[in-house]
Amino acid sequence: MPDPAADAIPVMSRPVSLGVQLEQARLTPVVVDQPKALYRSILPGVMQVPADYVIAAARKSSLWPMTFGLACCAIEMIATYMAHHDLDRFGIVPWPSPRQCDVMIVAGTVTKKMAPAVKLLYEQMPNPKWVISMGACATNGGPYTRYDRVLQGVDKIIPVDVYVPGCPPRPEALIDGFIALQNKIMEERNRVG
Amino acid sequence: MSPEDRRTEAPPAEPPAPPEGSVADLFKKALPGVEMQAIQGVNDVILVIDRADAHKVLEIARKDETLAFDFLRNLTGVDFEADGLEVVYHLHSYTHRHDVTIRAKVPTEGAEIASVADLWKAADWHERECRDMFGINFTGHPNLVPLLLPDDMLDHFPLRKDVPLAPLEEWQGEQLGENVAQAGYIPPGSGFNVQASAEGE
Amino acid sequence: MAHEYELAPEHELETIDLNINIGPQHPATHGVFRMVIEVDGEVVTDVVPHIGYMHRGGEKLSENMDYRQAIGYQDRTEYLSQFNAELCYVLAVEKLAPALAPPERAQYIRIILTELNRISSHFMFLGAFGTDLGVFGTSFVYAFRERENVLDLFEEVSGDRLMYAYFRPGGVAWDVPANFKSRVEWVCEQALIGASDMDRLLTDNEIFIARTRGVGILSAEDAIDYGVTGPMLRASGIQQDLRKDEPYTIYDRFDFDVPIGTNGDCYDRYLVRLQEIRESVKIVRQALEQLPEGPILPERMPRLLRPSAGEVYMRCEDPRGEYGIYLISKGTTQPYRLRMRSPSFCNLSALRQMTIGHYVADAVTILGSTDIVLCSVDR
Repeated sequence: MPDPAADAIPVMSRPVSLGVQLEQARLTPVVVDQPKALYRSILPGVMQVPADYVIAAARKSSLWPMTFGLACCAIEMIATYMAHHDLDRFGIVPWPSPRQCDVMIVAGTVTKKMAPAVKLLYEQMPNPKWVISMGACATNGGPYTRYDRVLQGVDKIIPVDVYVPGCPPRPEALIDGFIALQNKIMEERNRVG
Repeated sequence: MSPEDRRTEAPPAEPPAPPEGSVADLFKKALPGVEMQAIQGVNDVILVIDRADAHKVLEIARKDETLAFDFLRNLTGVDFEADGLEVVYHLHSYTHRHDVTIRAKVPTEGAEIASVADLWKAADWHERECRDMFGINFTGHPNLVPLLLPDDMLDHFPLRKDVPLAPLEEWQGEQLGENVAQAGYIPPGSGFNVQASAEGE
Repeated sequence: MAHEYELAPEHELETIDLNINIGPQHPATHGVFRMVIEVDGEVVTDVVPHIGYMHRGGEKLSENMDYRQAIGYQDRTEYLSQFNAELCYVLAVEKLAPALAPPERAQYIRIILTELNRISSHFMFLGAFGTDLGVFGTSFVYAFRERENVLDLFEEVSGDRLMYAYFRPGGVAWDVPANFKSRVEWVCEQALIGASDMDRLLTDNEIFIARTRGVGILSAEDAIDYGVTGPMLRASGIQQDLRKDEPYTIYDRFDFDVPIGTNGDCYDRYLVRLQEIRESVKIVRQALEQLPEGPILPERMPRLLRPSAGEVYMRCEDPRGEYGIYLISKGTTQPYRLRMRSPSFCNLSALRQMTIGHYVADAVTILGSTDIVLCSVDR
C-alpha cells in the first residue's frame, strides 16, 4: 500500500519531470455521482419492485450508444451496426450526441491527449449511463501499452461496466458484450438508478 | 534476447559507390563546391551532406532543371545513439523519374537544421512531427508547434533511443479505489523494475 | 467553387469571425480528428487541423520488436488497407534480406489479397463518403454488405476479420484453402455488382453532384507540393500510379488502367475510387488465372530473421496513396528504425488549402473525400 505521506505529488518510479507530473494531474478519474431516481422517493416501497423491473427492462431494450469509435475497433463496431450483424434488432441505435445517449462504447486506444475529451464526454452523458470498453486497447492499453503516450486502459479515468476483449473483437463478441450489459442492468435494477 | 541476438554486423568498410551517370553525378555538377558522399543504396542513391549545406542542396534539388525533385516523399529523423541524430530526406522527381535519399547529420545537443518548408509545402507537417519525436529544431519553419504530442507534455522526445518503453502500470480499474490520484503509480517493491522491463526482456 | 461575396455598401454590418471546433468526437466517422475552423457567416476563412489524438507510437514499438512481431503494427496502423501495409513492410525486409525471395505462388497470393483489400477499402470510402454528405446509413449499409463478403474470404484465408498478419518476409504464413479460386471469383462478381449499386445510388444523383462538383479543388501543382498521392493526386489530373510507374513485385505482369480525373474536386475523387474497384477486379482475375502451384515460403527459412545491415525506402500504392516504409537495419533481429510514411498524413496536410473559401458543410465533404485513416495519420 503506497504511503501517501511519502510523496506529496505522486511520481513514477523513474525520474520524471514536471511535465509528466502535470500529466498525472490531468488524468485523474471522473467523480461518479449517480443520484437516486425520482420514482424511488415517490412510490411506496411495495410498488418499487415492479417499477424497477419495468424501468430496467425498458432501459436495457433501447440502449443508445454514442458513436465514439476511436481506432480500428470502430470499424468492427460499425460492422456490428450494419445489416450483417444487426444491432438495431436489440434496440441499439448509434447516436452522435452525448446528451441523448445511454452507453458509451470506447472502441480504440485512448491516448493521453484524448483523455480529457473522453472524461468530458462521459460527464456530458445524463444518468443512468454505462460504459463498454471494447477491445484490448481500451481495456489495458492493448498492443500499444508500452508507449508512454497511451493511457493503459480507459478504466483509469472513467468507470467501465463491460470489458469486451479482442483485437478487434468480432461483431459477435460485441453483441455478447451488449447482452452482458443488458443482464447487468436487469440484475442491479433495485440498487442503481 | 541473448547477447548473440544483439550483435550488430560491422558495416562494409567502403560503402559501394553509385555507378556513372547516376543522380549523384547530376548533383555534383549542379553543386560543385559542396562536399557530399555518394553511396549506392538498395533502391536509390544516398547522398550524405553536411547540415550547414542542407538548405542549399535541397534548394538546388528542387529548382535545378536536370534534377527537378518536386515531390518530397518523406522527411524523418533517425537516432544513432553515439553518432548523433540524422535527418533523412527522400525525394522524387515526376519529370525525370528519379529518386534520391539525402542524409544530414545533426548533433544530439543543439539539434538544429534549416527548414525546407519554403521549398515543399509537404515539409511543414513532416518537420513538425520530426521535432516532436526527436527534438530537432528546424530554423525558419513558419509554425513549429507540436503536431502529434499534446502541448503540455513535451518533456521528452519519444523516438530517441534513450527514452525507454513505458512500464506496465499496476493500478487498474477497481484497484484504483482510494488511490485515485495515483493512476500510473508503480509502488516500489511491487516487482515492476523499470530498468529490467525497459530493456526489452 | 470558392464563394466570394461582398456586402453592398448601404448594408454596413459589423461582423465577427466565429471559431467553431469540430471534433475530436464527431459523427463523421473518421476517427479522432479535430479541426478549428474560423467562419465568416458560413464561409470558412481558416482551418487549423489538430491531429495526434491517436498517436500510439507504432514506430517506437516496432523498433523494440522482432521483424515478425512488427507485422501486427502495420495492420493496426492502416486498418482499412492492412494487406497493403503488410506488403510494403515485407517487401522492405525482403530487399534487405535477398535470401528471403518469395516464391511465385506466394507473390500471386499476395497480389490477389492486396487488391481485394483495395476493393474493400474503397467500399468503405464509398460508404463513409455518403454518410458525410448526410446519407446517414444508406450508403454505409450497401458498402458494408460488400465488405462483409471480402472480409469473410479474408477470414477463411488468414483467420482474422480485420488484423490479418498473414504476410511474412519470404512469402505468406500458410497456404490458402482449397476452394480459394472459386471463392475469389464469387467475391469479384459480388464486388462488381456492389460497385454498380453504389454507382446507381450516387453517381447521377443530383444532390450528390451539387454537393461535390467544384468542391475542394486541389490543383496539380499544389497536390505535388503537398506530397499528396493516390486517388487524390489522380483526381487532380496527374497520371501517377506506383503500380505502373515504379512497379514492385509482379505488378508489371498485369494489364489494367489507371483512372484519372480532370478537375480535382470531390466528385472526381469519388469517380476515381469507384473505377479503381473495377480495375482491381481485373487484376484479381488475371492473377487468379496465372496462379501457379508451388511452395509459399522459401525452403530454408531461418528461425530468427536477421536482414543484412543497410537501409531501404520501399513504397507501395495503398488505396490512399503512397505508403512508404523506411527501414534501417543493423543486422539484428529488431529493426533499428522503422518509419512509416503514411499517405493519409500527407493528404491531410492539404486540407487547409482545399477548404478555405467553402461553406462549413463542404468542410466535412472535403474531409471525407481525403479518405483518411486516423491511425495512419498519427501512427
